[in-house]
Amino acid sequence: MGSPLHKSTSGPGTAVLEKPEMADLSPEMKLVRDALFRHVGKPLPRKEDGRLITGKGRFSDDFSLPGQTFAAMVRSPYPHARILGIDTAEALASPGVLAVLTGADLLADGLEPIPHNPVPSTKFDVKLTAAGGGIPFTGPHYLLPADKARHVGEAVAVVVAETAAQAADAAEKVFVDYEELPHVTETKKAAQPGAPAVWDEVPDNVFIDSSFGDEAGTAAAFAAADHVVTAEFHIGRVTAVPIEPRSSLGHFDEETGRYTLYAGSGGAVRQKGELSKVLGIEPKNLRVLSYDVGGNFGARNRVYVEFGLVLWASKKIGRPVKYTATRSEAFLTDYQGRDLITKVELALDREGKFLAMRADNLSNVGGRCVSLSPLSKGSGLITGSYHIPVATLRARAVFTNTMCTQAYRSSGRPEVTYAIERLVEKAARELGFDKLELRRKNLVSPDMMPYTNAVGSIYDSGEYEKNMDRALELANWDGFEVRHEEAASRGKLLGRGFANYVESSIGSPKERAEIEIKQDGTVEVVIGTQPSGQGHETSFAQVVADMIQVPVEKVWIILGDTDIVSVGGGSHSGRSMRHAGTVMAMASADLLKEGRRRAAEHFGADFDAIDFESGHFKLRGTNQTIDIFTLGDLTREKDGPLRVARDNEMHTPVFPNGAAICEVEVDPETGHVLITSYATVDDVGRCINPLIVHGQTHGGIAQGVGQAMWELCAVDASSGQPLAGSFMDYGMPRSDNMPSFKCEIAEVISPTNPLGIKAGGEGGTTPALATVVNAVLDALKDYGVTDIDMPVTPHAVWRAIHQSKGERDARAS
Amino acid sequence: MYETTYHRPGTLQEAVSLFSKVEEAAYLSGGHTLIPTMKGRLAAPAHLIDVRRIPELSGITVGPDRIIVGAATTHATVAASEKIRALIPSLCGLAGSIGDVQVRHVGTIGGSVANNDPAADYPSAVLALDATLHTDRRSIPASEYFAGLYTTMLEPGEILVRIEFKMPEIAGYAKFRNPASRYALAAAFVARHRDGNIHVAITGAGNAGVFRWTEAEEALQARFEPDAVKGLLPDENDLMGDMHAPADYRAHLVGVVTRRAVENLGGTLIE
Repeated sequence: MGSPLHKSTSGPGTAVLEKPEMADLSPEMKLVRDALFRHVGKPLPRKEDGRLITGKGRFSDDFSLPGQTFAAMVRSPYPHARILGIDTAEALASPGVLAVLTGADLLADGLEPIPHNPVPSTKFDVKLTAAGGGIPFTGPHYLLPADKARHVGEAVAVVVAETAAQAADAAEKVFVDYEELPHVTETKKAAQPGAPAVWDEVPDNVFIDSSFGDEAGTAAAFAAADHVVTAEFHIGRVTAVPIEPRSSLGHFDEETGRYTLYAGSGGAVRQKGELSKVLGIEPKNLRVLSYDVGGNFGARNRVYVEFGLVLWASKKIGRPVKYTATRSEAFLTDYQGRDLITKVELALDREGKFLAMRADNLSNVGGRCVSLSPLSKGSGLITGSYHIPVATLRARAVFTNTMCTQAYRSSGRPEVTYAIERLVEKAARELGFDKLELRRKNLVSPDMMPYTNAVGSIYDSGEYEKNMDRALELANWDGFEVRHEEAASRGKLLGRGFANYVESSIGSPKERAEIEIKQDGTVEVVIGTQPSGQGHETSFAQVVADMIQVPVEKVWIILGDTDIVSVGGGSHSGRSMRHAGTVMAMASADLLKEGRRRAAEHFGADFDAIDFESGHFKLRGTNQTIDIFTLGDLTREKDGPLRVARDNEMHTPVFPNGAAICEVEVDPETGHVLITSYATVDDVGRCINPLIVHGQTHGGIAQGVGQAMWELCAVDASSGQPLAGSFMDYGMPRSDNMPSFKCEIAEVISPTNPLGIKAGGEGGTTPALATVVNAVLDALKDYGVTDIDMPVTPHAVWRAIHQSKGERDARAS
Repeated sequence: MYETTYHRPGTLQEAVSLFSKVEEAAYLSGGHTLIPTMKGRLAAPAHLIDVRRIPELSGITVGPDRIIVGAATTHATVAASEKIRALIPSLCGLAGSIGDVQVRHVGTIGGSVANNDPAADYPSAVLALDATLHTDRRSIPASEYFAGLYTTMLEPGEILVRIEFKMPEIAGYAKFRNPASRYALAAAFVARHRDGNIHVAITGAGNAGVFRWTEAEEALQARFEPDAVKGLLPDENDLMGDMHAPADYRAHLVGVVTRRAVENLGGTLIE
C-alpha cells in the first residue's frame, strides 16, 4: 500500500497549515477577540457547583413521569450462544408484568440497528478499511439480538412491569433456550487462524486491516540502521466507572405522536439522530433531554440499547418506561475502553537519531463495532513527540466475545504514547543512551511547526523541549538521588518515570450557538455540547461575558434539550471549548453587529459611528451611550429580541502536548507501589479557566494512573466470564492512593482557531500510563526487571521481582 | 433485591422467637455483607430481623483481665474507644482499618464475627485473643467457633450477643490489603498472653478462613522477635488463590505480615 495517511506531498517536516478558520476578522470579531481576558484566564469558581452539591442536580434517574413503569433486562450468561427460542409465558404471568419483548419482536416491528457509524470519517482521520480496501463489516447492533448473544451480559429480552422489583423478578422467569458456541475473548487469539468466528460474515474476526506510511522508505531505513529496538505491549481493557449509572426514561405521547427520552449522554443531538433512525421516525418526533451527567469519559457518547428499548416499549404499552442500570450492569455493559496490542520497532543511527518506525496495532472492539476512534486516533500519533522521518503502520481491528469498546478518556492516545515512550526508554537502556538526552535529541522542535509526522498528522504548534525542562524542574528531577537514598534507608525502592506526549483533538466538526439578550437583564447562550463535570456553565459564560462585556453572573448557558438545542456535536475528544468557544465568538460578533445597527437607528446616526465599549454602544464623538440590555428592551417591540444564531464548522485538528513525571516507592517485599509525587506540564493552548483545567487534568491523571496501577476488566478466557464485576475486584484510584499533583499549564496559542484553544483534561491521562510504568521499571532496575504488564498491582510487581530473581539464580547456578 | 420483610425486635427473646416462627429468616446487623448479597439477588431471606436495637448487644465493659464488647458495637465505636485503646490498642487499630468511614459507622463486630468472611479483620483478633463468644444460649471458645468459609458453630436462630476478649500482655496487627476491595489479602494478629502463650491468627489467606499459624507460634514461643519467623511460610495448599493473589504470593505475604505484626507490637500496620 505505502500511501501516506493523508494527502500530504511534502512528507515529514514543515508543512503549510490550513488557513485558520476566520482569519479575516470583521471589526466586531476583532472587538470580540480583543475583549477577552477580563474573565477569560481567571480561575472563577464553578457556577454549577452550588446546584450540584445541594442536591439540585437533574440527573437522568431524577426524572419521573406519571404512570411510569420499569424495565429490566434479561442478559446472556454466555459469551457466545445461539438463541434458539425464548419462553416468555411465565414472566408474562408474573405480578405487575406488562410486556416481555425479544429480538424477534423487534424485527417484526421493523426496528433498525443503531447507526453507530463507527469508522471515523473526517479528512483528518486515518482511513480504516477492510483487508484489501473494502468497506468494513462492523456487525449490526440491534437493540436486542435475534440470532446470537455475543458477550456475557448482552441483553436478549426486556421485561416491563409496574415496579422495578417486579420487572427484576420476572426477568428471572424468562427462559432463553441457548445453544452454547465456542468463544474467544482474547485480543491476540481472536486474530489467530482457527479462532471461533464471532460473526459468520468475518470468519477470521479481523474486519479492519489497513496499512499506512512509506513502506519501502521505512524498510530501507531499517536496513541501513545501526540499531533496531522492538517491543510488544498490551494496553488492557478498562471501563469508565461513572459515578452515575446510565439511566433512561422513555415516553411516547399518543396524541402528538412524539417520543421523549430523558437520558444523560455525551450529547443529546447525536442520541436524537441515531435513535430516530432506530425507531424509523422523523427526528423531529423525538425529543431528547440530557441535563446533569455524572461522568462520561467517552462511555456515554454512543447510543445504548436500553435507551431505544424504553422508547419502543413505551409505545408498545402506552406508558412511560424507565431503566436505570445497577452497578453490576454498568461493569458488565457500559461501553469499555482501550484493549490494544501494539508491536513497535524503532530504527536508530549510531548517535541515537531516530531513523524510522514500524507499528502493528490490533484493537479489540468486542462483539460489535461501536467505534473505531481508539484505533484511528492512535494511528495518527504513533511517532509521538519525536521527529521520525519515515514510518509504517498496520492497523487492525478484531471482534471478540466481549463487551464493545468505545473511545475512552483520550481515545487511542494513551495507548500509542505508552508504546513510544516505553520503546524510547527501552532503546536508551539497551543502547546505553541517557533516557532524557535520547528524547531531547529527537524531539520535534518549535521551528519545525507546523510539523507533519511520518503518518501525515500535522502538529499545529508546541514547545516540546520547554515542556520537558519545566516538568523536570517541577519534579525536582535532579534531587532524585537524595530521595532515593532516603527511601533505600527504609528498605524501599524509589523510581522515577518520564513521558512526553502529543495528542490530537478533532471531534465532531459542527457547532451552533444562539445568544439572546433577555428581558430580565440576563444573557442566554444555547449550545450543543454536553458537560459531565467539565464546568461548561462557567467557562462558556466567561467567554461570552468577555466578548459582549457584561458581568459573568449575567450569562447563563442552556444545554441538553433537543427542542432548544438543535445542532451540536456533544462533548468528546476535547472538542467542547474549542468548538463552542469559536462559535460563541462568532455569535457574539454577530450580536454586536446587530446591536450596532440598532444603536445607530436609536441615535439616528450611521452604523460606522457606533462604537462598543464596556457593554455600552456609544455614538462616537458624543456622550451618548446605551447599554446592551437597555438597547434590547427599547428595540424589542420593533425589531424583536436582540438575538443571534450562528453555525460553524471547523475541521482542523489541534495537538495538545506536554510532559509528565512520576515518582514511585516500591516495597520489594510485598510489591506494593506508592506514588510519591506527580508533576505535569500541559500545553492546552489558550486556557479559559485554569481552575477548571487543573481540575480536569487532576481527574485525567487519576484515570490514567488508575489503568497503570489497578484497573482491569479481567475476563476468564476459558469461560468467557468477566472476573471484575464489582468494586471488590475492579481496583480504582482513590484520594488516599494519589499524591498531590504539581500541574502547570503552558499556553502555546494554537494558530488553527481564533481563540487559540487546544484542549485540556485528556492530557492528564495520555502520558500517565507510560510515566507510571516507566517509574516502576526504574525502581526495579536493580532486580533486572525490564518489562511488566499493567496494572502494576502488588502481585504483578512481586512476581516480576521474584521471576527475575529466579532467572538470575538459575543463571548463576 | 427480592421482596423481604424487615423486623426490629427490642429484646433477645423477641428476636429469637420471631426467628423460629417465620420461614427463611436472617439476622441483620450492619448488613455490609448481607445487603449487597441481597441486592445481587444471591440471597433471598423472606424476613430480616435487625438485632441492633437489642440492649444486651451494646456496650463495652472492661474487667481485670477481660474486655467485653457488645455484638452490635460499630467498628467506629471500637476504633474510638479510649477504654480499649488503653489496653489493646491493636484492636482499635484493626477496627479503624475496616472499610471506609461510612462502613465503620454501620458495620458491627458481631456481624463480622458471625459472618466469618475469610478476608474480614475481626476473626483474627477473636482467635488470637482467645476470645469467648457469648450467645443467647451458651458460650463458645474461639478455638471451637470458626467452622470454615462464612461458617461458624452458631446454630440456626442463635444470636451472638457479646465477645469477651482475653487481655493479652501485648498484641500487634499487620494487614496487607487487596488493591481493589481493600479487604485483607493477608493479615496477622499476634498476641502474647499473660500466661506466656503466643497466638498468631491469620486472616485473608486461608482456604478455610481464619486460622492459627502454629509453626509461627512455635518459632515465636522460642524467641519472641520479628526475625524468629524469617523464612517461615504456611503451606500453599491451605491458602486461597485468586486473580489478585495466587496462593504462593499469599503464602509469602502471610510471612511478611506476621513479621510486621511482631515488629509493631502495641500497634497496627496497614498497607
